[in-house]
Amino acid sequence: MTATDPKSRFSRRDFLKLGAATVAAGAGLSMLRPGEKPAAQPLASMEEKVVTTTCALCPSGCGLDVRVVDGKAVKVEGSALHPLNQGVCCLKGQTSLEILYSPERIAHPRMQMGERGSGDWKEIPWEEALGIVAKKLIGLRESGKPHTLALMHGDLRGQMRQTVQRFMRAYGSPNMISRESLGEGTARMAMWLSQGINGLPVYDITNANYVMTFGGNLLESSRNVIGYLGATAFMRRGRPQRGKLVAVHPRLSVTGVKADEWIPIRPGTYGALALGMANVMINSALYDEAFVRDFTFGFEDFEDADGKIHQGFKSLVLESYTLERVANITGVPTDIIARLAGEFATNRPALAVLPTEVGELSSGNALYTALAIHALNALVGSIDAKGGVIVQRFPDLADWPAYSLDSTAEAGKAQERIDGAGTQFPLAISAYQNVPERILAAKPYPLEMLMLLNANPLYDMPEDGRCLEALMKVPFVVSFASTLDESAAYADLILPASTFLEVWGDDYLEGTGYAGISLRRPVVEPVHDTRDPGDVFLDLAHRIGGPLAKALPWQSYKDLFTDRLSTLDWKKLETNGNWSEMVYFNATPGSQAWKDVVGRDRLNAPKDGRFDLFSRELFALLGSDSDLACLPHFEIPSALAESSVGALEYPFLLITQLLITQSQQWQGIIPTLQECYGLQGYVKWDSWVEVGQQAAEALELHDGDRVWIESAQGRAQAAVRVRAGLWPNAVFLPPGLGHHTFVRWGRDTEDNLIVGANPNKLIEFSSEPLTGLAVSGPTRVRISRA
Amino acid sequence: MPRWGMVIDLDKCFACQSCTAACRMENNTPVAGKDQAGMGRAILWNEVLPFTEGEYPNVVETMIPRPCMHCDNPACIKVCPVQATFKNEEGTVLIDYTRCIGCRLCTVACPFTVRYFNWYPPEWPEEMKAHLNPEPEVAPRPKGVVEKCTFCTQRLRKARETAEAAGRTFAATDYIPACVQTCTGHARYFGDLDDPNSLVSKLAHSPRAYRLFEELGTQPKVYYLKQG
Repeated sequence: MTATDPKSRFSRRDFLKLGAATVAAGAGLSMLRPGEKPAAQPLASMEEKVVTTTCALCPSGCGLDVRVVDGKAVKVEGSALHPLNQGVCCLKGQTSLEILYSPERIAHPRMQMGERGSGDWKEIPWEEALGIVAKKLIGLRESGKPHTLALMHGDLRGQMRQTVQRFMRAYGSPNMISRESLGEGTARMAMWLSQGINGLPVYDITNANYVMTFGGNLLESSRNVIGYLGATAFMRRGRPQRGKLVAVHPRLSVTGVKADEWIPIRPGTYGALALGMANVMINSALYDEAFVRDFTFGFEDFEDADGKIHQGFKSLVLESYTLERVANITGVPTDIIARLAGEFATNRPALAVLPTEVGELSSGNALYTALAIHALNALVGSIDAKGGVIVQRFPDLADWPAYSLDSTAEAGKAQERIDGAGTQFPLAISAYQNVPERILAAKPYPLEMLMLLNANPLYDMPEDGRCLEALMKVPFVVSFASTLDESAAYADLILPASTFLEVWGDDYLEGTGYAGISLRRPVVEPVHDTRDPGDVFLDLAHRIGGPLAKALPWQSYKDLFTDRLSTLDWKKLETNGNWSEMVYFNATPGSQAWKDVVGRDRLNAPKDGRFDLFSRELFALLGSDSDLACLPHFEIPSALAESSVGALEYPFLLITQLLITQSQQWQGIIPTLQECYGLQGYVKWDSWVEVGQQAAEALELHDGDRVWIESAQGRAQAAVRVRAGLWPNAVFLPPGLGHHTFVRWGRDTEDNLIVGANPNKLIEFSSEPLTGLAVSGPTRVRISRA
Repeated sequence: MPRWGMVIDLDKCFACQSCTAACRMENNTPVAGKDQAGMGRAILWNEVLPFTEGEYPNVVETMIPRPCMHCDNPACIKVCPVQATFKNEEGTVLIDYTRCIGCRLCTVACPFTVRYFNWYPPEWPEEMKAHLNPEPEVAPRPKGVVEKCTFCTQRLRKARETAEAAGRTFAATDYIPACVQTCTGHARYFGDLDDPNSLVSKLAHSPRAYRLFEELGTQPKVYYLKQG
């Protein structure tokens, strides 16, 4: 021990305690003498408990242990008994208490009294608010127009998705529109068209030897980020053989920094790189020949039933994706592509990871990019193998009660969807970004009512006024927002949702692979007069009656999900906060279980246990002259052509990528997230725009200069950060900031009113003609000094 | 008497900043707001600091999560004119907020920039005060004093109390700071550096281990294990 000053021997620690205690009491400096104990023992009388619940701030759904003192939630820790996070907790979970106790929360249902958007709100009781909504819904049904109700929604957890689905179906509206088409829908579609599974891929990084992530968000904002962080740490230091992580991204993101290798690539060209790697693997016979021969379809050219020859994956890749061509497209040197392919093929189990968020698959053909990347997994036999792509399993739950539709609901169900899914886009599950245009065109019918559940379309879409115009065109808009977000500000009625810390619910253990359920329970009494949207839907179902009351017969959402989960071991569920099988059984290729991981959800293609390198699902839809459209391929997005007029006017390519310090729905109201926001931008509470070193030199820009970033769609302002780790003609603007409505913190300066810039305002979304998925560029922008 | 120390494995740290947030929620550091944060006045005892070297495409970035180093030979104590900052018998460097006169000599003297000054009284909207940690050690500090990481001294006290109430001897493994508990990559280790059998002491002797600015001779008790 180091010598301590004898004078300070009287326990400095005690003194610290005294000091702190007196400050707490607001007494200022105290006159306590050395040796005296503090008079107040504030905690002795306090009632303290720990409540285990499940987070809802990102799709991971980690277990949380919340420390509650005297009825107030004061600290969040990760639940050690939860298989996904195993005791750890990310910064969003940590700061969730700032959401719970936020002054920005909407405390009561409210109705817009003046013109919509005027902010002239009147608080009304729940009974009245629900009465208004029910009356409107009953009216629509009675006039035979239940299909003119639409619901736009974000993430729905556990039983909530099916609850809302049942509500909409029994009501008679086909218009349940998921935000998924903006982001992870691409990965889901690629999984379905190739592997035949309608689900998002889960990556078994724990057991992988080589992980190649396309896109920079694996360790920051992927769907199962907490699981992947723990798995990557384990892959490196928890087992005898260390695995390698490679990040392919135009920008050196935090994932790139923390990866073993960063491969800079021209924005929007992931697909070409994947196909180039496939070319090397095939040419050098490094792929898993047995697996490809026995368990894939369309590797070789083949003859169909009519005797027509179709092109296979192999000949396409060998013809069109030679090293030189791919190096030209992607900007990745040939020797690096060859080395990556070699490493990938010889360090099995290897994983090619799909990006899941909007902007990451930014090429003009996001779907084929995703198919090309996922094909790499099949080439090395990483399909449902240990250390490969695994398929999320779900527990067997109690059946939903049967109900039948009445004639109104039947007629409504048969109507075309407002977003064009299934008609304009034959394969689409939803086309969120297409809704405003269709509302404005009143196509296929005018919308009478819109509900917004965890969705804020005004923030998500470009600011050309079209989305706002569309929202205003709908006669009646109801929002379930907890805070006054941009879209809620233009609603007629707000039915404020409780936060996840105040409600009952459940979550699947998505991201672990194995079946399981995590329990969500109220940590504290509701802080405000808010309700769980699940309860609201049940209440409305009872008010409307008819098939709705039969489809959703429960009195409360808690009753609903406890009924559904009645097949599980409740004792374990309640004690641990979760129930799971705890182990993932990989299917042996060709076995009975294999049918559950390859081909299970195919509609028009054979369920023969073969992974489609040539998508037979697309083939069935497109007909026999469409070989290329059924194969993973790469078309150079028009935005990448350097010679076009657009390229001269807008010389830079905009990339965005979600950060871990970003919360989809709550960004504006969590001060601590804002204070941690810009790790790589050296900024807090603000957006920054990253410009490459050469470009900054040419434009004479320096760190901190304010600039406009302008695209054909709109413009945004941010401070420059000159970045070495960035593709030369790319600029990076992080998403998540630029909210207009609910940002207020700190001293009253103008600067504190609107925080940062919203890159969605610069990006033009178009929709992929087959799948309705949003494709966004890469968007061309220019930069000018503000 | 334990000599508390920490080891951070940069191979398992993913710069997720969970430690930063956990520290704030545990220790009630106030929110600075945009304008104050813009002046570098945000109080985050456990920040992650990025460093860049090289030019495109050969760029090396490092992210260093940085708590107080709790040096065995701290620079801050030597400059404090009023003995407000001190090292306790377990080697943890603490501040007596009632003695601190806000001269900020320590803030300048610390080579690791771990010390933060309260430019304003701590402020939260009324509703938000509900989530403040009620432990007396972390009662919000008044305007005009310096504060920093304490290795969550309140957690140490509580762990001792818990052990006492359970009638057993306090063990070094009974206590970890909030940042160690929450670390998403399990990259942080905490314990008694004087116990040759403790995990931290073993890791601190790993060939990968180094300390920041070792040449300054402050003898930090926070060790890093290098990435890769």
